Amino acid sequence: MTPEEQIERALEHRLNPDEWKRLQADIIADPELRAAYVERSWLHAQLTAEGPQLPELLNAEPTSPVKTRQRVRTVYWAAAAAAIAIVATLWISPNEQKEEWVATLVQAEDCRWAGSDLPTAEGAQLGKGKLALVEGMATLRFESGAEITLEAPSTLEVLSKMRCRLIEGSLVANVPDSAHGFTIDTEEMEVIDLGTRFGLTASGLGKTHLYVFDGVVEVEREDEARKRLVTGEALVHGIHAPVLDQEVERIATPIESEDGWLSIPTTFGNGKDAYVRQGDSDNETGDHPLLMVKSTDFVPTNVRHAYLAFDISQANPGSIADAELTLQVRSSGLGFSTLVPDSRFAVYGIADNSWDERSLLWENAPASNLEGVEKLAEFEIPKGSPVSQVSARSPELSSFIRNQPNGLVSFVVIRETGELEKQGLVHAFASKEHPTAQAPTLKLKMENDAL
Amino acid sequence: MNPSPEEKDPQPEDYLRLLATHERSLSNYVHSLVLNAADAEDIVQECKVVLWNKFDQFKPGSNFLAWARKIALHQILNFRRTSQRRPLYPLDPDFIESVAAEIDRSAAHLERRSAALKTCLKKLPAPQRQLILWRYYEGDGIDGIARKAKRTEGAVYRALSRIRSALNDCISKTLNTTGS
Repeated sequence: MTPEEQIERALEHRLNPDEWKRLQADIIADPELRAAYVERSWLHAQLTAEGPQLPELLNAEPTSPVKTRQRVRTVYWAAAAAAIAIVATLWISPNEQKEEWVATLVQAEDCRWAGSDLPTAEGAQLGKGKLALVEGMATLRFESGAEITLEAPSTLEVLSKMRCRLIEGSLVANVPDSAHGFTIDTEEMEVIDLGTRFGLTASGLGKTHLYVFDGVVEVEREDEARKRLVTGEALVHGIHAPVLDQEVERIATPIESEDGWLSIPTTFGNGKDAYVRQGDSDNETGDHPLLMVKSTDFVPTNVRHAYLAFDISQANPGSIADAELTLQVRSSGLGFSTLVPDSRFAVYGIADNSWDERSLLWENAPASNLEGVEKLAEFEIPKGSPVSQVSARSPELSSFIRNQPNGLVSFVVIRETGELEKQGLVHAFASKEHPTAQAPTLKLKMENDAL
Repeated sequence: MNPSPEEKDPQPEDYLRLLATHERSLSNYVHSLVLNAADAEDIVQECKVVLWNKFDQFKPGSNFLAWARKIALHQILNFRRTSQRRPLYPLDPDFIESVAAEIDRSAAHLERRSAALKTCLKKLPAPQRQLILWRYYEGDGIDGIARKAKRTEGAVYRALSRIRSALNDCISKTLNTTGS
């Protein structure tokens, strides 16, 4: 923004508070800018102060040219004509709309952005375009009054002050009465707000999850009647989309690194992974690409635990010096991270290795109530964090593995922190069925003399 | 207490005459410092009352406008402190004083610009005149004009901003070419 433009915006109160504060400081510091500011604010002030006389001033005929000033006037007229021609051209230009501001980025703490074609500094005025949030949470206020909190990783396209498109990711929208009709598009649907607060998640793979915290929204989908959702209602579109029929590539031997670490993924030997949801009496997850984990005090049926078993038959228990469990974090497409605190997870060791991932359910899962099991390690995933991998490592973990007699070791991974409101984020980790991410992996440090 | 007959009483006629001469300039001064037109108008009105109340302190023959500006600046800074409804466009007191000093410094220059503005206004073609009238005569905001003109607010803002820039350039050129 040129200094001139900043001043013009200041005159019309179109700078955001931070920009205005900075401009004031600059004007105090820079005599040249101060002089320019005074000229323009003086002009603006005079027009305001002359207000009542303006019709008269504007309609008055140009004074008849004075002979001695003929040349001067010619120059003046040329300049004025040129200036006015510019004004006229810009005023009638039909392309103006695309430069219009439609939203302000009101909060963008600890945010990291990628490939965005809009400014991403806090306080930035946004026109139409895309925002790609890699890390953190950002709040946009649309000119209509609608406010959107975007959770990383998300890509949003700002379309107008009443419309945006969630390409991928999660958001929570707060829409005041002034913005009734505010619409968010996803790949599969159009969500029309009727004065409310709602959350929306789009996976980018044809799955959309909508939840109305408060108020009413309408959903428009292709080939379906317009649907109305009220407070507390949710709509999950595409959840029964076919699960990727992924062949799991079992590996023949654990991978041993030069520094003595043996990597054992769940794809090795008799390894297995699955998750259970308290409310499910069917829907086994052994072939699911994601291991979902959640804890909540609001809806107990939504509690989810992940189960992992690693084949440690190739490792001599006596020579295990250290151990680390590594999980790849992936988006579950369920729930909103705005509604969970920084999350802490715990890894418990379970002695029973007999569970079968094809039939594992809450009711038959070992130690689903966490009775008689030992907590071995913890890890954290901060809110809005971009972490793609987490690790848990502790002496208790290695000691537990050393004491497993059957060549298998089983763990249950739970989330210790709950959610602030219903519809909080469900965390997910890649399972061995995940098409791209590495399967859960147990790394064991073997003592040299034993190798 | 009765004023002594030797001392010249401040006369309402003197005050009104001086105010009439300098009112426009004083008003410009306040509007330049207070960007909100409604606030500026309130301050100008208050200021006129204060000027009259303090008129006995004004030395006849000294610079009325300079005296009035000093009081207006005080009123502005005071208004800033006491006003409750201010969160959107706060003015830093240092900023106000710095800009006020600049206006004082270039007072003569600004008066010449004011005179030139009247000439430049007359050259505006009809569509621009309409915008200026909406904005400054009817006191519409950008949003109000956008509704009337059926344009976007961004378009209205840019058009207005360009008219002001064109006027500003016209004023500068007028003054430069006439050698003032």
